[in-house]
Amino acid sequence: MLLAVLFSNTEGNILIERFHGVPAEERLHWRSFLVKLGADNLKGAKNEELFVASHKSVYIVYTVLGDVCIYVVGKDEYDELALAEVIFVVTSSVKDACGKPPTERLFLDKYGKICLCMDEIVWKGMLENTDKDRIKRMIRLKPPTDV
Amino acid sequence: MPVRTNKSIGSGHAALGALVVLRRALARAAVHKVFLNHIRPIRLRLAVHPTLILNIPLKRSLPFNFSPIAEFYLFIYLLIIIFLTFFSIPPIPLELTLAESRQFRPSLPSLPPTPTSQSSLSGRGSPRSTMAQPFVKKDDDRDEEEEYSPFLGIEKGAVLQEARVFNDPQLDARRCSQVITKLLYLLNQGETFTKIEATEVFFAVTKLFQSKDTGLRRMVYLMIKELSPCADEVIIVTSSLMKDMNSKTDMYRANAIRVLCRITDGTLLTQIERYLKQAIVDKNPVVASAALVSGIHLLQTSPEIVKRWSNEVQEAVQSRAALVQFHALALLHQIRQNDRLAVSKLVTSLTRGTVRSPLAQCLLIRYTSQVIRESNVNNQTGDRPFFDFLEACLRHKAEMVIFEAARAITELSGVTSRELTPAITVLQLFLSSSKPVLRFAAVRTLNKVAMTHPLAVTNCNIDMESLISDQNRSIATLAITTLLKTGNESSVDRLMKQITSFMSDIADEFKVVVVDAIRSLCLKFPLKYRSLMNFLSNILREEGGFEYKKAIVDSIVILIRDIPDAKERPKTSDPGKYIRYIYNRVILENATVRAAAVSTLAKFGSMVDSLKVRDRATLYLDALDGENSIDKSEEDVKEFLFGSLDIPLINLETSLRNYEASEEPFNIASVPREVKSQPLVEKKAQGKKPTGLGAPAAGPTPVVDAYEKLLSSIPEFLTFGKLFKSSAPVELTEAETEYSVNVVKHIYDGHIVFQYNCTNTIPEQMLENVTVFVDASEAEEFTEIASKPLRSLPYDSPGQTFVAFEKPAGVPAVGKFSNLLKFIVKEVDPATGEAEEEGVEDEYQLEDLEIVAADYMLKVGVSNFRNAWESMGEDNERVDEYGLGVRENLAEAVNAVISILGMQPCEGTEVVPSNSRSHTCLLSGVFIDNVRVLVRLSFGIDGPKQVAMKLAVRSDDMSVSDTIHDIVANN
Repeated sequence: MLLAVLFSNTEGNILIERFHGVPAEERLHWRSFLVKLGADNLKGAKNEELFVASHKSVYIVYTVLGDVCIYVVGKDEYDELALAEVIFVVTSSVKDACGKPPTERLFLDKYGKICLCMDEIVWKGMLENTDKDRIKRMIRLKPPTDV
Repeated sequence: MPVRTNKSIGSGHAALGALVVLRRALARAAVHKVFLNHIRPIRLRLAVHPTLILNIPLKRSLPFNFSPIAEFYLFIYLLIIIFLTFFSIPPIPLELTLAESRQFRPSLPSLPPTPTSQSSLSGRGSPRSTMAQPFVKKDDDRDEEEEYSPFLGIEKGAVLQEARVFNDPQLDARRCSQVITKLLYLLNQGETFTKIEATEVFFAVTKLFQSKDTGLRRMVYLMIKELSPCADEVIIVTSSLMKDMNSKTDMYRANAIRVLCRITDGTLLTQIERYLKQAIVDKNPVVASAALVSGIHLLQTSPEIVKRWSNEVQEAVQSRAALVQFHALALLHQIRQNDRLAVSKLVTSLTRGTVRSPLAQCLLIRYTSQVIRESNVNNQTGDRPFFDFLEACLRHKAEMVIFEAARAITELSGVTSRELTPAITVLQLFLSSSKPVLRFAAVRTLNKVAMTHPLAVTNCNIDMESLISDQNRSIATLAITTLLKTGNESSVDRLMKQITSFMSDIADEFKVVVVDAIRSLCLKFPLKYRSLMNFLSNILREEGGFEYKKAIVDSIVILIRDIPDAKERPKTSDPGKYIRYIYNRVILENATVRAAAVSTLAKFGSMVDSLKVRDRATLYLDALDGENSIDKSEEDVKEFLFGSLDIPLINLETSLRNYEASEEPFNIASVPREVKSQPLVEKKAQGKKPTGLGAPAAGPTPVVDAYEKLLSSIPEFLTFGKLFKSSAPVELTEAETEYSVNVVKHIYDGHIVFQYNCTNTIPEQMLENVTVFVDASEAEEFTEIASKPLRSLPYDSPGQTFVAFEKPAGVPAVGKFSNLLKFIVKEVDPATGEAEEEGVEDEYQLEDLEIVAADYMLKVGVSNFRNAWESMGEDNERVDEYGLGVRENLAEAVNAVISILGMQPCEGTEVVPSNSRSHTCLLSGVFIDNVRVLVRLSFGIDGPKQVAMKLAVRSDDMSVSDTIHDIVANN
């Protein structure tokens, strides 16, 4: 299960979050945990440089893209490798939607588009689409080119 | 007046330009206090109206005009400011300037929330409060324009108002999309809508189905999913979605399926099932995937419906589209997961065919290893089914697949080193990958392998040593702990050196892992205890949290317990090292610690031939005891300090109570040394030994030691080896009978000794030649080999008789013994207290006695059950479930099982809160042959008070785990 996908700015404020199968009362804890993890490690990181951590049986892969920190959390079959795949799709779609690694402003400008991308990528805790071009077309309700 | 206008615009630009220059000057270089005073009014304005300056795109002109005079003054004013800024002011640090300039940075999330959002966004407080130091990396050249948020000042009420545009007869698709984006933003920020608000928005959104704009339609689909309408609202969109589901536009179909499946319930599902089945085999992969993924989710809520789709899903597994195959495979496996044969068939067919997506290949590897687990190894060739497939996957081009295969191979049960080698080689390559995720995955897998096959991993040790300095601390910790598991005795010292530098820059949670690993290493290589204990004691002195320190102390205690040499005693080679520390305690600590320190120093003083130490010890003795000590020989001092109290405390206490103050001093020799029938086993008592020295006794004397001493004084029992356990006394007579007898069961590896404690309660009788005749016909594995009679048993002076049995060594044999007390009874003259010469043979029936499995279990607690449990590993784990029938409450059931097993409850889990419906109890013990055993009991009780129990046992030996289950099953 892909437990969470979370976007925050570099100061730790949440921009988008999607939790799946995480009880509401635990979300606050996860939010704080992830933001702290980012604050401790993402300083000075390169764009899309992947970071990995595990917390009990849960895996976390996170990165920074422009001014936005991206965290994905998973367990069971969504181990660090699967999560790396997920975060790759997420970052490439965000880059695609924004045209470049986004500033916070640019990210918020493209907020709607990014929400749609996320809707195509993750569905209730499962990875659904993995190809950015396909996602780019699908959020405009255009069939993928390979059809 | 065109000139005027131009001028006005021009001066507007000038003023604006100057302000921008000013702000940049602020941000870039230096600010002086004077300057700050000058500028404060403007800054205040900025702070009050951030939008005024920052949110207006710079290309626009200022929305106000200056009069020519005002323009002139403003211009001069600014010139002075700029002059002061650049030429006359010592700089102050850039950081401060930046920090200040951030105060009015208008980016929405860092602004204080508006009053409305503050109340509803209270849940967001934590990220802000836990937010780490803001990263100061803003580049100065960035336009403020970029930092302003499109959602600045967004407010729920206003957005809900805006949502009324959804009801416009002429829909503005662009505007509607913007409003939906705002709604999504609010939802993502943790904003909640009331029931009425949500319903209103939902109804308004449904109106948007009228628009033909595809972008808007996509947003509508997302919005409906986000709002997750309740059942009575769903009906409003059902028809629109059904229409889309049958639309000619593929993408409408796919999205409608996803939305419908998200919001639907069972009844609606039967109506749309037909369409979903068609969609699964749709030629458009997007539609097929949408239906398949919907199926995976619906399987949780309506499994019986989804299971009917297996033919279609089977067809989709053969799809040429990679993602469709992946989703179909996942769904098909979930549908058939309880049918072993079907899963096996699925795996067989797919391992022969082609799997297009690496994701699907990973799934296939997982299912394959499941099939391998459930099937047997071919006995003739020693081959595993499908192993070739796994091995072939190690050469796949996708890293994900290679890893999955390597992991699957390492996790095979009973994997041989021949099977392991290719997987380990692949993982070793990944250890030096540039991608942290791959390094992490590799070292994590190797860490697991090291637990079971440390030798297989040793080839990777050099690669892993380089990972100790990895920037990612998770990787470094895993590398360290793996090395600690695989390292050999000669590499320990080198490793410890590397770890020392590493420990200072990792978090406590990682340190605890390292400490645990070091403990295991030390137990593995007891000869290396010195450097490992040194390491532990050094890190104990460093900064650290409670959990970390606790882990260190627990480890040291365990090492001292398990490695006798690790216990530093007066015989240590360098006593001076300890004396300094102990002496410091004498000065610094509270009374309890001072007392312990003084006693310890005395021990050193007596053992160590060093003047300094001896002097201090003499001083100590003198200070406490004065002149008396002069008479005492060194032997006495030693006896006093190290000799254990060989008198049962209870006897001493009784004698002291009976002692009446008189001229004659109390003589300790008059205290009987025989153990009386008191349940003293395993209780430790502390006492003072009232010898002439009069100082406190050296330490506690366990009663078990007293038993051991007693038994070792009997020559017949000397060959039995080490005493494993002595039970608590079991009463064999009723209370207040003529003869009171209880028995203590002493368990040896191959023998059992019954110690009958007899008390004669008749003043007019003296018993002689007291024995117990034991009938062991119901204890087939036991053979009586010795009996030691009690010569005489006077009134109220307890005595013991012993019977020894031989039993198969190391086997927890059980049985029932009947006992008959035999003796010669003699009359005693009450006046003189002397017994007659002639006696009569008599006998007295005692209760039966049983040896049960719990007698072979020593109650030994563990300080941290969880750690102990995890470090013991799953290899010798056996889990089973039992019905315990009807019980009054859970506590009764828990106590019954604890007493059957005779183990030590840990962490207070023997206490069951009243009225609980479930409970977990943790037990620990050492089974005969010194096998450590841990037990996790999970109890549940239902309405009619039926109790069910899950018993999980881990031990050092699988056969012992089985034995524990047998014990429970047979009781």
